[in-house]
Amino acid sequence: MMGRISISQGVAIGLLALVAVLVAITPLLPGYDPYSQNLGGSLLPPGGSSFDGRFYLLGTDTLGRDMLSRLALAGQVSALIGLGAVAVSLVVGVTLGLIAGYFRGPVEALIMGLADLQLSIPRVLLLIAVTAIIGPSVVSLAIILGLSSWVAYGRVARGMALSLREREFILSARTQGASAAWNIRQHLLPNVLPQMLIVGSYEFGMIIVLEASLSYLGLGVQPPLPSWGMMVSEGQNYLAMAPQLAILPSIALFILVAGFQFLSQTLTKENDLEMVA
Amino acid sequence: MAGFILKRLLQSILTIAGVITAAFFLTRLAGDPAILLLPPEATPQDAERLRAALGLDQPLIVQYLVFMGKAFTGDFGMSLRQAIPAMTLVLERVPATLELALSSFVVGIGLAFILGILMRMSRHGWVRDVITWVALGRQAIPIFSFGLVLILIFSIQLKWLPSYGRGTFAHLILPALTLGTYELALYLRLFNASLAAEQRNDYVRTAFAKGQGRIQVLLKHMLPNALLPLVTVAGINLGMLLGGTVVTETVFSWPGVGRLIVQSVSQRDFPVIIAGVFLISLVFVVINLIVDILYGFLDPRVRLA
Repeated sequence: MMGRISISQGVAIGLLALVAVLVAITPLLPGYDPYSQNLGGSLLPPGGSSFDGRFYLLGTDTLGRDMLSRLALAGQVSALIGLGAVAVSLVVGVTLGLIAGYFRGPVEALIMGLADLQLSIPRVLLLIAVTAIIGPSVVSLAIILGLSSWVAYGRVARGMALSLREREFILSARTQGASAAWNIRQHLLPNVLPQMLIVGSYEFGMIIVLEASLSYLGLGVQPPLPSWGMMVSEGQNYLAMAPQLAILPSIALFILVAGFQFLSQTLTKENDLEMVA
Repeated sequence: MAGFILKRLLQSILTIAGVITAAFFLTRLAGDPAILLLPPEATPQDAERLRAALGLDQPLIVQYLVFMGKAFTGDFGMSLRQAIPAMTLVLERVPATLELALSSFVVGIGLAFILGILMRMSRHGWVRDVITWVALGRQAIPIFSFGLVLILIFSIQLKWLPSYGRGTFAHLILPALTLGTYELALYLRLFNASLAAEQRNDYVRTAFAKGQGRIQVLLKHMLPNALLPLVTVAGINLGMLLGGTVVTETVFSWPGVGRLIVQSVSQRDFPVIIAGVFLISLVFVVINLIVDILYGFLDPRVRLA
């Protein structure tokens, strides 16, 4: 799938790896608890130390909680929601897309009509309405975000199924009496899966932004669990005094989103895949 | 042409019916409207009376049809917090949102236009690279983060522009820049692709053969043709823009529909949320319809698709 790695690809992978390592390792460090408050050392700048001599690499928030470990925990939560949402949307999108492309006719019209309908409501608004009513939690966010993002997979899968179903190996299976379910599972699915993972890498970045936007609006994971969007929103009130509160989570988001966008773009180009967003 | 318009019109009505259906299920998910409307000290008899008055004792299919009928006339019930119809509250906020969305649209297209031409006319490769990377980088910054960075620079450090509210032109600049630049990378890519496609046409060669300069050929001959796809995609992309107004309005305390929706969420005022989401979806569907029909007039091939 990948040939040589260019310099910019290397930089993107390196930055992503750095974030991944920080997110994974920081919570293991002793003495850096994302929840423990230290009111004697609130709003410390990066590299600052509190009166009791504790050192904070990225400073502290308004309640004196360590920014680095909060960023890391928020990253874990986001990654969990993002992976869950991608899994949900991939399963739903591929299933519906392959069914639409394999059966054609009214089934296809129904599924693609559903896709068009969903695209006619701006995604953020749909998510706001649903999370407002169902209530946000890690699990419900992953499911809601996933269900709202199946269209990209569905369209690509359908497009590929349309051409695959006319190929000899499918025709031969069909003349030998293979059922539709067998054909879709055994012949179509393995052929579309690599492309679906590329769509997934693109969507993962999108979902992280959507999740962060929801939590910025107060509709993401709820406190005391931290999330990058919520941290930015809290930091907005202290923009003049302590801009790092809003800037640090923004940088984390930027690296993650830019990294995934870049990787998926090069993958898309290399695999000559038309992206249908 | 009449057939094409009719077909697209029917499609749009179906879509709106679908949106209303989704809205109906969302309202039911929100819980029993009678319980939401009544004060906590109300008796079960009160709830029963209100249910009958609201038609909630009817079969679900009847409720659905009534909801559908009312929704088509814009009636989404009363706000749960204020004794005002939900749609009235939403409509009050529409001008602010449209102002933001349209100025962002103009900022996005305008910047893509200027930067695209700059990229085309520049003889230096690095100009191209810098513009592309800046636009791609912008795309990777969420709207709320970019808005805060602009506030930090232009409101807090330089004290040039206000950081919240609506009123003067100065209030509009930061929100429109925040939202308008979000899709710049996409617009630039499209604009460049269509300029490159025009370049290969015979009329361009003819114009050069007549002795016209690069700039003249670009501006007078290629531009009108290359602009059409850009405007179309930007029109279709208005959904993204309208969704983006919600976050942008929250960042800059802009008194539009998006901010109303977010505030209604914290007050659990479901009719207002659903009326707001419905209205923005409606605007989006109508804009798509208009763009499609205009395109059908301009490019006859579209009608056949």
